[in-house]
Amino acid sequence: MAGAVVGCALWVTQLEASLARSAYATGYVLYGAVVFLAAYQLRKKLPGLPLGKSRSWLQAHLVVAIASGALFYAHIGGRWPSGVVEGSLALLYAGAFASGVLGFYLTRTIPKQLARTGEQFIFEQIPRLRSSVQRDARTVVVDAVHATGATTLADFYADRLHGFFRRPRALRYTLRPTTTARRRLFNELTSVDRFLTEPERSAAERLFQLVRRKDDLDFHAARQGVLKAWLFGHIGLTWALLVVGAAHGVMALAFRGGPTL
Amino acid sequence: MLEVARPRPERWDKPLDVAMTSRTVDRLLGVPPFAAMDPAVFPRATPLREILRNDTRVRQYQPGEIVVREGDYGSSALLVLDGQVRATLESLPPATLGRTPKRRGAQLARAIAQLLQRPSAPEVRAPKAAAFSPTHPGAGVFVQDLPAVLDANRTALLGPGELFGEQAAITRSPHTATVFAETACVLLEIRWQGLRDLMQSTPALRRHVDELYRKNHLDGHLRNTPLLAALDEAAFARVKESVTFASYGSFDWSETAKLDAASDPLERLRREPIVVEEGEPVDAVLLVRGGVGRLASELGEGRRTIAYLGKGRTLGVEELILAAERGEPAVWRRTLSAVGRLDAIAIPPAVFLAEVAPTVPESQRLRWRERSRYDDAVYQPSPGAAPARTLDFLVDRRLVNGTQSMVIDLDRCTRCDDCLRACAATHDGNPRFTREGLLHDQLQFAQACMHCVDPVCMIGCPTGAIHRDEETGVVRINDNTCVGCSTCANSCPYSAIKMVEIREPTGAIVIDQATGQPLLRATKCDLCADQPTGPACQHACPHDALVRIDLTTPTQLAAWSQH
Repeated sequence: MAGAVVGCALWVTQLEASLARSAYATGYVLYGAVVFLAAYQLRKKLPGLPLGKSRSWLQAHLVVAIASGALFYAHIGGRWPSGVVEGSLALLYAGAFASGVLGFYLTRTIPKQLARTGEQFIFEQIPRLRSSVQRDARTVVVDAVHATGATTLADFYADRLHGFFRRPRALRYTLRPTTTARRRLFNELTSVDRFLTEPERSAAERLFQLVRRKDDLDFHAARQGVLKAWLFGHIGLTWALLVVGAAHGVMALAFRGGPTL
Repeated sequence: MLEVARPRPERWDKPLDVAMTSRTVDRLLGVPPFAAMDPAVFPRATPLREILRNDTRVRQYQPGEIVVREGDYGSSALLVLDGQVRATLESLPPATLGRTPKRRGAQLARAIAQLLQRPSAPEVRAPKAAAFSPTHPGAGVFVQDLPAVLDANRTALLGPGELFGEQAAITRSPHTATVFAETACVLLEIRWQGLRDLMQSTPALRRHVDELYRKNHLDGHLRNTPLLAALDEAAFARVKESVTFASYGSFDWSETAKLDAASDPLERLRREPIVVEEGEPVDAVLLVRGGVGRLASELGEGRRTIAYLGKGRTLGVEELILAAERGEPAVWRRTLSAVGRLDAIAIPPAVFLAEVAPTVPESQRLRWRERSRYDDAVYQPSPGAAPARTLDFLVDRRLVNGTQSMVIDLDRCTRCDDCLRACAATHDGNPRFTREGLLHDQLQFAQACMHCVDPVCMIGCPTGAIHRDEETGVVRINDNTCVGCSTCANSCPYSAIKMVEIREPTGAIVIDQATGQPLLRATKCDLCADQPTGPACQHACPHDALVRIDLTTPTQLAAWSQH
């Protein structure tokens, strides 16, 4: 990666030394680099064709992305553009680049967090599994009431657990998941244990498991959701960058004066 | 239209040869070994006459034409009816056997076509299925430069009444020899389902097949054993003469595999048939010829797995040689139990010490002496292997059967599902695995066909639709001959085969016109054998988190886990 940046810097220095209009040359190469970066998504759509392994593409994607950063800096001449189109374009590039860096961080940290849960979940199945956990929790409590006639656990469920099982977690949890709710519910469930009949205690044990499972489901939904949202955003920014970049190129060529190199 | 009715396929809907006539069957019943068979002992569902009519076919070969090739997987045995065939006792070069590299262009064209012609509905099948030949897919292949082959190689002549190819067919292993027609000859091809039924009802045939192993395959197996490589011909013959065969466990081990996986670990160990027991006298050197064995050391109330042994591995050599050096009686240092099934060849200790021990190099003996000084070595896997608890897991779950297991490193997997999408894109929009499965530490063993070394899914297939690819060894399902009976899916201990409801190109679900139930087909991973890229799942993983790996040896997984 360092080699790619140094290579770009040397090339731009050479251009400057030759008194050429380096903005056109760096613009062409920069746009080419962005097209190459976007082509990775196209490669993913053609998995059966011998276009190289995806992991090789990702490595190349990272190297070219870093090099494009150096090119971008050279292209804007070290100062932020003031025009509306150029400013928007620079913002789009910066956004795509920053989202790429964020993605690099997320894809290297979130998998380890997800792997720590005892069970692994497929993102698309999580809503169904949540419903199943909620149904199981309700059944456990209702069965305990039928078995003993006591409503201590049922009251506790209605008061403290029903909302937890029924709803997905808040956006705050999605951005920064914690085990606070799980620990709090475990503590409350433990403290109510002394008031329970024997069948209710068995039901409470089962509720412990279901709370843990619901929390794991929420955790997977949040973390996997972040990864999917990130990719969606990164691709969206790239497409916008391609379109606005093309428009910028057309305008730059249309309104050029004198030699283009 | 949501549904369309079709007749439910049956076992003998697609006989091996539609041209097989009653007259031919009558004639076959008059020649050995069928003449000696009693039709009355065959079950009503599989009478001898119907086996011959549906599971056999008569084939003619020209002189020099290859009947079976060494290294190819076969699903049929062949009986010489007329003429002579010659079996090579030495390996021939690929060019001599007419092996040519696969054309990449054709694969590429197929891959492009698949991308362009993706059906709108899942599991679409063409209304008419093509015929299928499990053993002889194309035009005849002839041995190149036949006189030179005969001059340079040792061969054996087989005449009328002799059977060959049976071991490959019934043990689901590749052919160990090439057989070609010596003269113009007529052979009877018996697909393995038919051979299995014939053997079940005819003990004499079963004994004959066992004897054929001793006569035709034992020599090759022993010659391919590195331990015996330094023996001269006389010593080799004495060893060969002395060996006995032993089998442990069940050939149909898949029936109890799911139960075993769910049972208590100690109970599971207790159920595994013991082959040799730690502390007992060494009564033979064992050469594993099939199946898998768990090598374990006593630890506390149970046993810890320190290795597993597959085909070609040996046991008892170290114990016998070191004990002989010390002048002590040899005892087993570890316990070997059969994981499912284990077939072994046993060399008596006296013969081993007299004929084989003197050929063991001093450098090897030195290593064993060094190792024997450290008792810890008994309790730990060898360097480079996975840790003991991982070995325990792999053996307990019978994952050691997989030659192309899909393993996902969850510490790297971003759950992007590129693997699944790639799989679907290369299989007409139908993914052939699920990203779920057994978990061990950060590793997930996905529910994808492992292309087992012992593919038990093939045991019960009534039509031979599930078979090994002759070139690659990949276990595949021929959709045209699958009758949707679910036997393979039920047999697979890893739940890697899925039964799917099929549809016509219009999207209509195909139902059985007799029962109104949907018609099913078995589907599973085919390792993208027709794709120019190989397994699309592995090719598509951006983070190197998914790998197809051979678990029959423990070192590959250990190496990959540390990558």
